[in-house]
Amino acid sequence: MANLKEIRTRIASVKTTRQVTSAMKMVSAAKLKKAQDAIFRIRPYAEKLHAILDSLSSSLKNTEESVFTQHRTPNRILIVLISSNRGLCGAFNANIAKTAVDLANTKYKEQLISGDIDFLVVGKQGEKQLRLRRMNIVAQANEVFDNLDFETSTMVSNNLMADYADKRYDRIELVYNQFKNAAMQISVTEQFLPVELKQNDEEKDSVYNFIYEPSKEKIVEELIPRSLKIQFYKALADSFAAEHGARMTSMHKATDNATDLIKELTLTFNKARQSAITNEILEVTNGAEALNG
Amino acid sequence: MFLEILTPEKKLYAGEVDSVQLPGTKGLFEILKKHAPIISTLDKGRIRVIERSKRMLYIEIGGGVVESKNERIIVLAEPA
Repeated sequence: MANLKEIRTRIASVKTTRQVTSAMKMVSAAKLKKAQDAIFRIRPYAEKLHAILDSLSSSLKNTEESVFTQHRTPNRILIVLISSNRGLCGAFNANIAKTAVDLANTKYKEQLISGDIDFLVVGKQGEKQLRLRRMNIVAQANEVFDNLDFETSTMVSNNLMADYADKRYDRIELVYNQFKNAAMQISVTEQFLPVELKQNDEEKDSVYNFIYEPSKEKIVEELIPRSLKIQFYKALADSFAAEHGARMTSMHKATDNATDLIKELTLTFNKARQSAITNEILEVTNGAEALNG
Repeated sequence: MFLEILTPEKKLYAGEVDSVQLPGTKGLFEILKKHAPIISTLDKGRIRVIERSKRMLYIEIGGGVVESKNERIIVLAEPA
């Protein structure tokens, strides 16, 4: 059995660790709240925008194609992987990197073999994971998480749209963790570009007889880039909240584990102390008996 | 009429209003009570709102789109 002093230091060190993990848990909980609020604020905007866009595009007879709705044979693919800058959040980053690599391995197998898949990563951890798997990373945008707002997100999404418009890529996919609740993230893959517009024949808004200014086509043209920016911002915000949720859960588990460990160690410590005392008493009584004898 | 002005990051305005003047792409226009349903894109500029209490206020936007139907106006704005 380990000696008393050793166990005592062990207990002290586990206690310090527990303090750190529980503090990190608190910090993540606070950040999660903030990130969640951001999602709730985007939601009504995104929903309304999509509603307008859907009702417009479905009533458009002549689909005069905007550059973002153009379908091309997918020769060059860009996969945008949204991960996190910091670790200590469980399998968060490993999972999402795996989803991205799986996507490349299955849906875009041919392009992967011919080396036509590029990756853009957001988050240092995802970058690390992809490097391990020897994927072709062309750019990173790790700094967007330093101060996540619509403006910084727009700079990145504008670049993506420009790349698509310049035909540098024929398809752009987004891979990110969607925030379900604090303990759950869902790895999702979304096609970012080209945009799939809904094409159904029934005109839902025809009852209103809207006036369109300047014209339906112009509005759709104007709204598509806007909805793309929103989609990208939403993905970032979702991933950000999911990250903090994941970190909170994993730090919670770590704190629990530390508590269990401390319990166990205290038990061993007490046992060792008790047996040391028993030993001492035995020695004393033996000694006394030897003297009397 | 109920007016809502939203940006992706926050709600700029929500409340009952008498009139809204908007910087439409085809020119400045005003929505009053019983305006026909309209969807219009907006340019960078400012929105003039006259509230029920006749208080007038201006809100800067960096472009956007407006939908108005059934006495309900929703402006999806870009941050100015």
